[in-house]
Amino acid sequence: MLNIENLSVNYKSNRNMVHALGPVAMKIETGDIIAVIGPSGCGKSTLLHVLSGIIKDYDGIVTLNGTTLNPKVHDIGFIPQNFGLLPWKNVEKNCLLSLKIKKRIIDSKLIERMEYIMDKLNIQDLKDRYPKELSGGQKQRVAIARAFIMNPDLLLMDEPFSALDALTREEAQELFIDVWNQYKPTTVFVTHSIEEAIYMGKKIVIMSHCPGAIIETIDNPLFNTEDLRQNEEYLKLSSYIRSISKRGWKV
Amino acid sequence: MKAKDKIKLFLQGFLMINVIWYLLAVIVDMRVLPTPLDVYMNLNNLYDSRLHIHILVSLYRVILGVGISLVLGMLLGLLMAYSESWNKLLNPLVYFTYPIPKTALLPVVMLLLGLGDSSKVTIIVLILVFQVIIAVRDAVLHISQETYNPIKSLGASKLQIFRYITLPSILPAMLTNLRLSIGTALSILFFAEGYGTQLGIGYYILDAWGRIDYLGMYAGIVAISLFGFVLFVLIDILEETTCGWKA
Ligand SMILES: Nc1ncnc2c1ncn2[C@@H]1O[C@H](COP(=O)(O)OP(=O)(O)OP(=O)(O)O)[C@@H](O)[C@H]1O
Ligand SMILES: [Mg+2]
Repeated sequence: MLNIENLSVNYKSNRNMVHALGPVAMKIETGDIIAVIGPSGCGKSTLLHVLSGIIKDYDGIVTLNGTTLNPKVHDIGFIPQNFGLLPWKNVEKNCLLSLKIKKRIIDSKLIERMEYIMDKLNIQDLKDRYPKELSGGQKQRVAIARAFIMNPDLLLMDEPFSALDALTREEAQELFIDVWNQYKPTTVFVTHSIEEAIYMGKKIVIMSHCPGAIIETIDNPLFNTEDLRQNEEYLKLSSYIRSISKRGWKV
Repeated sequence: MKAKDKIKLFLQGFLMINVIWYLLAVIVDMRVLPTPLDVYMNLNNLYDSRLHIHILVSLYRVILGVGISLVLGMLLGLLMAYSESWNKLLNPLVYFTYPIPKTALLPVVMLLLGLGDSSKVTIIVLILVFQVIIAVRDAVLHISQETYNPIKSLGASKLQIFRYITLPSILPAMLTNLRLSIGTALSILFFAEGYGTQLGIGYYILDAWGRIDYLGMYAGIVAISLFGFVLFVLIDILEETTCGWKA
């Protein structure tokens, strides 16, 4: 379980303090997938940076499975908006990077897992390519593969699909949900898209303007339903979230 | 670039230089500027004049000078990039000494270190090390913080961050710098080998010049050019094996 209590983040930039996030409290059950949605600049990336151990200087408590969150202790898969692939490593080596850093022994079982995931995400044939030689959608699938291969305790994604065009995005989302359903790692992802939040989030967390606080957490009944857009519930839920955004993301 | 293209480029350049040289020699028509043919015909005498030994000695001085500059410059550059306080301490020093022509220090270095290899290598290091320091520091500072994020979220140690992010990010800049450094070191040979030695390609050319042996002098010039070219090709190969992802 991921437990967040009283989390607040301030950025110190040349003698100025920017209160970017919080206070925020959340409890996320193991195996849940949470969509975080909110206005630009409300602190969504900041939240993910705390959860991924990139920001260490925060107020409050963040624990994962009972111990204080620490990327050295926990296995955290983080997919930034630009996918975070190392340009000097080919696809295969990029996928193995997390295992190398974690000093895991790469045995036949791990290789099998890697092959399987790469196969599912359709990147088998790209193994020897460098990120420069990939399309946006391909890069994204490599980043997803890299995160799943390490079997993370916590998976974090910052607007994972927003750099893709509409068609590629739908395909990538379907592929992602397919793989996610198989391994079900605890996941928090940030999105700008109401549709994406409803399609991929078991729970939807709606945040307010900067410094972001939680306006509402919605249990999403539509998670994992096929043919979402034909569903009547879908229209209701999306227009409800849209109304919060129209009101100016206020409580 | 493929090896085939490279050979083509080399041959084209070689041919063009020789044609220009030949035309100049014919137009000027003086003993100080022999035609390339005369020079190449004379090349087989070179083994007697032990040209290869001169080249090896120069190679030793260049490698030592460039090597020390690279190691020292990388250490100081990294120190300045990583530590605000070291940067504050060293930056004025680097900034102030950078534009001073270090060749002006040659007499001082000679007086302090004698006429042997140590003064020759030291002057090479003095000239090269500052540009290495600045290149390394700036290359490290240019890496965006975002680049580090994925590896930080994996709990990487400082050493791992250096190995997996910093080093590969600055490698292309380092190789460009190595190329410049070798070019500069080769030209420094001419005054560094002009004193206190009877060995080295710089000495060889200056000596032939002094003896009015123009054919020998040109042979030396051709030799040092080829020598420089071989070093450049080696860097090309190194670049292709380590920075292939950039191409
Ligand atoms: N390094 C920083 N120094 C100072 N302030 C920062 C820094 N990074 C972010 N901020 C500020 O903190 C607030 C939250 O930023 P954050 O990047 O988390 O927003 P976001 O919700 O991810 O926005 P977007 O949806 O546009 O990506 C913003 O007001 C931003 O200006
Ligand atoms: Mg953001």
